[in-house]
Amino acid sequence: MWDGLVIGGGIAGLMAGIRAQERGKRVLIVSVGTGSLAFASGVLDFGRVELLRQEEKHPYVLLGETAEKAFSYFLQCCPSHHGVWGRTGMALTPLGTLRAADLLPEGLDASPLTHANRIVLVVPEGLKDFFPEVVKANLQKQFISSTIQLKRLRIEEFVDWQAVGKPIPDTVYAKFWCSEQGRETLKNLIGEMTRKMVSDSETLVFPGLHVAACPEVEKILAQAPLPVVEMTSFPPSAAGQVLYDRLRGRFKALGGELLIGSGVERVEVESGQARRAIVKSKGKEISFTAKAFVLATGGFFGRGIVASSTEVRETVFGLPLYVPPEWSESSFLGAQPYAYTGVEVDHSLRPCDPVTGKVLLENVFVVGRMLAHWDPWVGHCGGGVSLTSGFLAGGLL
Amino acid sequence: MGQGLEKGSVRYSVQVVIIGGGATGVGILRDLSLRGISALLIEQGDLAHGTSSRFHGLLHSGARYAVKDPISAAECIQENAILKRIAPNCLVSTGGWFVQMPGDETDYVEAWLQGCQEANIPVREIPVQEALEQEPLLAKDVLRVFEVPDAAVDGFKLVWDNAKSARRHGGRYLTYHRVNEVLRDGERVAGVQGENLLTGEPFTVESLMVVNATGAWADRVAATAGASLDVVCDKGVLLAFNRRLFQRVINRLRSPGDGDIFVPHETITIFGTTSERVDTPLDHQPTDREVQRLLDVGETLLPGIAGKRLIRAFAGVRPLHREDRELTGASGEGEGREVSRTFALIDHEVEEGIKGFLSVVGGKFTTYRLMAEKASDWVAGKLGETAPCRTAEEPLLPALSERLRRKALALLPCAAAEKMLERLGQEAVAVLETIREDPGKGQLLCECEMVTVAEVEKAVADPDAHHLADVRRKTRLGMGTCQGAFCTYRALPLMWREGEKYDPLGRELIRFLNQRWKGIRPILWGEQLRETEFTRAIYAGLLDLQDKGTTTE
Ligand SMILES: Cc1cc2nc3c(=O)[nH]c(=O)nc-3n(C[C@H](O)[C@H](O)[C@H](O)COP(=O)(O)OP(=O)(O)OC[C@H]3O[C@@H](n4cnc5c(N)ncnc54)[C@H](O)[C@@H]3O)c2cc1C
Ligand SMILES: Cc1cc2nc3c(=O)[nH]c(=O)nc-3n(C[C@H](O)[C@H](O)[C@H](O)COP(=O)(O)OP(=O)(O)OC[C@H]3O[C@@H](n4cnc5c(N)ncnc54)[C@H](O)[C@@H]3O)c2cc1C
Repeated sequence: MWDGLVIGGGIAGLMAGIRAQERGKRVLIVSVGTGSLAFASGVLDFGRVELLRQEEKHPYVLLGETAEKAFSYFLQCCPSHHGVWGRTGMALTPLGTLRAADLLPEGLDASPLTHANRIVLVVPEGLKDFFPEVVKANLQKQFISSTIQLKRLRIEEFVDWQAVGKPIPDTVYAKFWCSEQGRETLKNLIGEMTRKMVSDSETLVFPGLHVAACPEVEKILAQAPLPVVEMTSFPPSAAGQVLYDRLRGRFKALGGELLIGSGVERVEVESGQARRAIVKSKGKEISFTAKAFVLATGGFFGRGIVASSTEVRETVFGLPLYVPPEWSESSFLGAQPYAYTGVEVDHSLRPCDPVTGKVLLENVFVVGRMLAHWDPWVGHCGGGVSLTSGFLAGGLL
Repeated sequence: MGQGLEKGSVRYSVQVVIIGGGATGVGILRDLSLRGISALLIEQGDLAHGTSSRFHGLLHSGARYAVKDPISAAECIQENAILKRIAPNCLVSTGGWFVQMPGDETDYVEAWLQGCQEANIPVREIPVQEALEQEPLLAKDVLRVFEVPDAAVDGFKLVWDNAKSARRHGGRYLTYHRVNEVLRDGERVAGVQGENLLTGEPFTVESLMVVNATGAWADRVAATAGASLDVVCDKGVLLAFNRRLFQRVINRLRSPGDGDIFVPHETITIFGTTSERVDTPLDHQPTDREVQRLLDVGETLLPGIAGKRLIRAFAGVRPLHREDRELTGASGEGEGREVSRTFALIDHEVEEGIKGFLSVVGGKFTTYRLMAEKASDWVAGKLGETAPCRTAEEPLLPALSERLRRKALALLPCAAAEKMLERLGQEAVAVLETIREDPGKGQLLCECEMVTVAEVEKAVADPDAHHLADVRRKTRLGMGTCQGAFCTYRALPLMWREGEKYDPLGRELIRFLNQRWKGIRPILWGEQLRETEFTRAIYAGLLDLQDKGTTTE
């Protein structure tokens, strides 16, 4: 018998697992996939918590108070991330525009750019989905008085990729910098830049490099006389993958167990209590009993919720969902009603009937994208809601 | 009403102005150009901006009309054979089946066989067992199956190939130019005037004759010359599925009705359609009700249809020419279908004494060439030109050389090479040369439709491309399963390089996303909904783009 069984190992599920494990509980995480982190950039947004708490039924109405605690807790778990509560930072998007960021991997902090007279944009040859001309033009638009220069970087190791016209993914470049040749190349490059430095307010913008992935790289950069600013990348991203690996590693180090690659088919319920999760693995059904469960199956993207032309369904418990009366709006990037679909919960994140408000299951906690009444892309709070709800659930298991 | 020619900042002079760059208009442009008559075509959007890119893509065999409309049936089978000869690159001769289902009228089959025979449409019955083996998704309770020479046609390509062929013979066209008025000089038309929508500049064309080929817009355009036309706008909704559900066109064997045709195109299938009167050709947004109705009806031919992955819904507006006598007695749902689909040529001199002004409305995509021939005969007759029509014999494109095909196969994966040759024909030469010089440009920018960087670069640089959507139509970028989640981003730097022409980061990108979104909204469920979460995460989250109130059109 487990103390807690977490269904879904994305950011929300992992946070719940880590916190519960740290509190001395025995936790198992069962997850079909590795969640959305590897597609995301590693940046986590909390959004304007106080403002969002004013929105009727937004998850922050329940979670808002805990958000700051969750923020600090995350920084303890992931020291390679940076952030100061209440002070939003800045990171470069793959297009070279600045965007707000509350928690960001070390190295991504773009604030040195504001003081730079000269910005040197490193152009690693063949880097996939990176467009130097676009980035340069956008940098110039934002830093009008800085000079922006391109520094092309030819890497011997990738000559074969180039010859056949194969682009080099961010994740491959990130690994390269951690290798011995990579570190050597990096040292030489920094040395060259230092010699050629014209003023002491130069900054290097370096796509495809991720210090958070490798302590040795961090050491090299620490000795560089000029700041190096990394960029987020188009999916899949090395920084997102690193964050996932960190969180997973932390959970395991605390003694948590993970079963990845299989999904929970259903959970058996007896008199308002969830009892046994049935998992299909390699054609066999295995069951796990637990005292409490966390539902962290990631909404539509994680397939915790699926919609057909006629109905919308929660896939594990068959919980009733809040489904908005209108489904979509004409502006793609504006608020979309469908995104507000999810499970309504009480103060302890337990699922409620959206009509009567009655608690449906006593020992199930719903977190992350499974929650109703929010659109992460409009509220800029995807990471915040997921981390905070996961943190809270971890305290309840 | 304009009298004489107004002063415009840009002036053109030709024998004939054609208004409307759909299949009908470009067909006329090509026909006149081949006869040596100087012609200029004016289109308000990109070519095929209207119904000619919002249709089913079925090159009719005529069998659909065999009972109700024998004239259309005969025209279709004749044109079907001609187009297979002159435009093989734009067609896939999939063949088509007519299948009878339980509950469909039984005496219809006999009348239909009779009609096909009279129209000279070859029909062959396929044993049910054999049919089910060849099309495993087809409903198991089919009663009878007949094969006819239906085919799939790429409307966009056919329109562009006509335009390019016309250009080789001296024809000209202006896109993103809207005609605001047909000018008169007493009893005669004197040309047209309008606005270049890209620059806002006015333009004027002087001409001896004006041909109005504006489809569902034809009554509005005619009215500017003081002429009247009765055009019925009839909206039809279509659904695109992400894979080839059937290998051939599947028609339901009954009186034509809603949701009874599936047409396979490349890797996808288009299913439809519906029929509903609308007030304006701009009303082409499918409603949830129409989509649901199609899925309900489609279940008969394709059990489990609602569970198949949809990638978008769209609608087109049929321009049906209404003659009053044909309308008496027609009423209620589906009345649009009762109006004859055979086309009409309206000589406004006969109708209301305006000389040199012809409107061409109605018809079908399948019969565009025939409509163009008749319209051009009329024009030539009035001008006293005697060169005969050559469009039934002259191929649209010169045949592809074996060398070109070999070169494509050497540089690109087989499927990507074939697709590119289909899209570009002879123009693939330049793209292949670019890839040979810089293999990086052979990278697939769009993995769903297998479009290379070099090909998109070429489309972007084309003087006819003004928006990301034009590039999309030329290359099929963003038309596949991902609906542009990845390739939209990847096309950005290429557009950027063109400098002034595009503004990819601001309006242009958001406008493109909103256009795609329009087609997804009516089918927002299943995998497409999941893809939507992902695409929004990328563009609104990761890239932090914000829509500051741009419109879709
Ligand atoms: C492209 C992209 C960009 C993003 N950018 C940002 C950003 O800029 N800022 C930010 O703050 N956040 C960002 N996010 C993250 C976003 O906030 C997340 O969607 C959110 O955090 C949801 O996390 P989650 O843990 O609820 O779900 P997920 O991370 O989706 O995890 C759910 C997991 O549950 C598993 N699962 C589903 N059903 C079952 C089952 N029956 N049994 C077992 N396992 C199951 C799934 O396989 C999946 O692994 C981004 C996400 C994406 C995809
Ligand atoms: C849902 C649906 C499915 C169909 N399926 C099939 C099929 O499978 N097979 C088939 O054969 N037929 C089919 N049809 C019919 C066929 O699509 C049309 O008959 C054909 O495309 C009409 O072509 P057109 O050139 O006459 O009109 P359009 O393609 O609409 O061209 C008219 C053009 O005029 C332009 N225009 C209008 N006003 C102005 C102005 N003031 N200035 C400049 N330009 C202007 C418009 O922008 C437009 O591009 C279908 C129709 C619909 C609606």
